Amino acid sequence: MKRIAIIFIILAFLVPAVCLVAADTDENEYDEDLYGPEAPIIWEKPVRGVIFSHKRHTMEFGLDCDECHDEIFEMEAGAAEEYDDFNMEAMYDGKYCGACHDGDYAFAASSRCTTCHIGVRGVERLTGKSDDKNH
Amino acid sequence: MKLKELEQLKNEGVDHISSIERRRFLKLGFLVTGVYLGGKALSLAPLTEAQAAEVVPPKGKYSYSPHYSMVIRERLCINCELCVEACNGTNDVPSYGYRTDILERRRAIVDDKYETIFMPVLCNHCNRPPCVRVCPTTATWKDETTGIVKMNPGRCIGCKTCMTACPYNARYFKEEGRFVDKCNFCYDTLLSKGAKETACVTACPADVRVFGDLADTNSRVYELLHTPETLVWVLRPKTGALPNVYYTNA
Repeated sequence: MKRIAIIFIILAFLVPAVCLVAADTDENEYDEDLYGPEAPIIWEKPVRGVIFSHKRHTMEFGLDCDECHDEIFEMEAGAAEEYDDFNMEAMYDGKYCGACHDGDYAFAASSRCTTCHIGVRGVERLTGKSDDKNH
Repeated sequence: MKLKELEQLKNEGVDHISSIERRRFLKLGFLVTGVYLGGKALSLAPLTEAQAAEVVPPKGKYSYSPHYSMVIRERLCINCELCVEACNGTNDVPSYGYRTDILERRRAIVDDKYETIFMPVLCNHCNRPPCVRVCPTTATWKDETTGIVKMNPGRCIGCKTCMTACPYNARYFKEEGRFVDKCNFCYDTLLSKGAKETACVTACPADVRVFGDLADTNSRVYELLHTPETLVWVLRPKTGALPNVYYTNA
């Protein structure tokens, strides 16, 4: 009887604790089904060192998946890179990122270059490769 | 003190100095000052007075023809490093070396965010090159026609004094040949073969680097440096090296 009581007491403490932890992680956890892949996309074509963050656009700015997919960007990773017109010129014409980055809805694709173009150095830092390039 | 004797002495005052004597004295004074100033000015390579005042030489006051220079439209640089790649390939630059590089700095902007600014750097082909001045074997010199700071690897003894003297860290020691290597605006590899621009300029996808003859008022470099309401600057102007690589926000 005593043993059952002890188990009961332990459970009484444990269950709410587990529930709390679970609730806590649920709130902070990045839901990839809801927000898209968490890891940033790094484009190498047509130039190296360009970044796109799903987290930024969905979780932080509140965009829905279907605002970009599948009309502006295909779901398949790396699909856009294979198109010949995946370049700045096309974006200025309202294609790809330029659909939103028009200077009105979001900052213009022709401005603030280094926000997305984090460069070779930026990618190296992001992927944890040595940044010790100083002479 | 023999005050009484002094009192009896005749006042020599300026009234009694002949004008010839006065002129001689003044002449000596001017001579001393002149030698001092002359020595100071002579210790540096010749430069026009106007160039010292402004970073961009005034129209018509160019020391070279063609006066090769590069304009870097800094805010457009995205650190794709295609220029570095092109340079390395064209000029046989080893993996540890560099003739050009992209530096990075971060600047705080509104909303607690940061902005990244990439800064392409290369030899500034200074009008008063400190590297040339220190070279003990004249292995590096300022080309009298183009203004390019050139290297003769055969004359270089690898003392690396030029590397220390360069305010722009634009030189590296090439282990393979045991000499100091640097950017020469692709003179041997491209310009002398009729090309109009350097490898890095051709490779740049963002039109950051613009190369040309500053003495030609129709050139793009001239235009960029003389556009209204733009900012033009050089790196480390206080070294007095008078660089020919200009930066602009145009």
